Amino acid sequence: MSFDYLWQGFAVALTWQNLLIGFVGCFIGTMVGALPAIGPINGIALLMPIAYTMGLPPESTMILLTAVYCGAEYGGRISSILLNVPGDAGAVMTAVDGYPMAKQGRAGEALAISGLSSFVGGIMGSVGLAIFAPVLASLAIGFGPAEYFVLMVFAFATLGSMVGSQPVKTLIGCTLGLMLATVGLDATSGAYRFTFGEPELSDGLEFVVLVIGLFSISEALIILEQQGRGFTMIRELGRMTARWSDIVKSTGATLRASVIGFIIGILPGTGASVSSAISYTLEKRFSDTEGTFGKGDVRGLAAPEAANNATACGAFVPMLTLGVPGSGTTAVMLGALMLYNIQPGPMLMVERPEIVGGLVASMFIGNFILLALNLPMVNIFARVLTVPNWLLVPGILVLSVVGVYSTNASAFSLWLMLLIGIIGWLLRKAGFDMAPIILGFVLGEVMEINLRNALAISGGDISILFQSTISNILWICAAAVALLPIYLARRSKKRQKMLISTGS
Amino acid sequence: MSEHTNASPLMNRIAAGCLLALSLAYGIGGAVIEYAFSSDPLGPRVFPIALAAILGALCLTYLRYPGFSEEFPKGSLLLRIVAALVILVFSVAVFEPLGFLASMFILTVGNGVVFGASWKIAIIGAAGQCLLWWFIFSWLLEVYLPIGDVFG
Repeated sequence: MSFDYLWQGFAVALTWQNLLIGFVGCFIGTMVGALPAIGPINGIALLMPIAYTMGLPPESTMILLTAVYCGAEYGGRISSILLNVPGDAGAVMTAVDGYPMAKQGRAGEALAISGLSSFVGGIMGSVGLAIFAPVLASLAIGFGPAEYFVLMVFAFATLGSMVGSQPVKTLIGCTLGLMLATVGLDATSGAYRFTFGEPELSDGLEFVVLVIGLFSISEALIILEQQGRGFTMIRELGRMTARWSDIVKSTGATLRASVIGFIIGILPGTGASVSSAISYTLEKRFSDTEGTFGKGDVRGLAAPEAANNATACGAFVPMLTLGVPGSGTTAVMLGALMLYNIQPGPMLMVERPEIVGGLVASMFIGNFILLALNLPMVNIFARVLTVPNWLLVPGILVLSVVGVYSTNASAFSLWLMLLIGIIGWLLRKAGFDMAPIILGFVLGEVMEINLRNALAISGGDISILFQSTISNILWICAAAVALLPIYLARRSKKRQKMLISTGS
Repeated sequence: MSEHTNASPLMNRIAAGCLLALSLAYGIGGAVIEYAFSSDPLGPRVFPIALAAILGALCLTYLRYPGFSEEFPKGSLLLRIVAALVILVFSVAVFEPLGFLASMFILTVGNGVVFGASWKIAIIGAAGQCLLWWFIFSWLLEVYLPIGDVFG
């Protein structure tokens, strides 16, 4: 296994420009993560068009967005611990033990322990990414159009069964995304699809417009709705360093959760919210012999934080090597690569090693920067929580308008952004998540192209999708992932009925 | 983070109905796509038709098992949301005619008040924000932002 791409990546990441960009990204990411109002996907959605319009080269843009993503996973713990409100989806479980610790006067220790766990998770995830990315890329070189199509079916099956609590709505979201991807000129036949005669739609729906509409405009309306809820912020942080006994006690939990988080990150579509929940649940089952989880146990705090940072790294493995995002946030970053006309896949490591290597190297460097920022400077980031919504949300809206307008100076894009934002808000009221729509959109064009290419090769014979070993394994995995939760849920119901009927 | 409740079953039914109508319209739109020639046997129509069928099936399942939804805002909260949207729409409408500074000033003042600031504080905050963003984007990052058609 060659790591030449990684040494090349360090050469890219260690230039003063990219170090500065990485530092800025880590700082912005931590602030974005700390704010309960917005998460990494919102921050990346806002920064992406701005970075592109500034003329940053693709490797620098990816370093910036990756730093924001990793920083947000660190920052999410701050409002979880101090406010009992998760800074982002991956920090939901952090509040379960983090906030009780803060109420016991140990907020500073909670922030320190969680910072250290985030660091360990991030470093282990970065090592995993560096090792597994070339392995998966070499396997994926054998993928043809049929295999890629089936891989995407597997990705959607995983999404439907593992992400969110309402699989039907998740799959509807994916389908909506796939439908939006069909808008525009069909390159193979020259037919215009769903453009309604509008020339601005002939190149398809702009990714930036969709992302900002769904994640910024709709988010602003959600924040307005939630404004009335009062939160009590813990202001006294107490001791700001972790006790040695707590570090030792949480080491096992941190290491186990890092591995779990990385593996879950590799699965298409699953993100930090899934991994932090699973790692917390498993750690509780494994370690909670005295019933202390949920009451300020450092292991309950360390596990989800290590997991969510490891997941952030793991999500890049399928994104870079297969072009299939490992999470909603990496789906947005995939869109960022598409802005530069770069198609992720196994050849990316060969054709553009500076992008893959630079990204991986910047993760290693970024985790050290984040540890340095988050331990001594956590007080400064905690102050971000005091920014009032009347100042923050209009600022987000201004950034949204600038971000969309800067891509092609078109008022039509702004109107489209508004329309998508309103529809996104209505869908969220009906219980839909937005990330599946983005995943469907970024995979839609590739999925259709691969299906059509596969059938072109076979002369229309659909059995080509079932011919190779890789395709058949992926079909079996897709079926297993889709049906297993249904089977387990039914088995659990039967057991419960039996227990009730026997009076247990 | 929003709470998931079953507070609005009507919301779910309306959403399912709208999405079902969308799947029908999309499927019909896909079936009438005109093209002279396609180099692959599938063509540009099949994928949209398949997606319409999948969405239709999922919507029927959704109607049967609506799942959770959030409570739809009512009363003064709904009025504030409508106000925020009206301000947003107006700001976008005047973005090119009046330019970045004027339109974003309207956006930030209006939404500042909707989000609970007093008029005086909202105006001061908006003025400071708009000038800061103008400086950062137009001067520092050289991002093109319109000056306003009325200002030439």
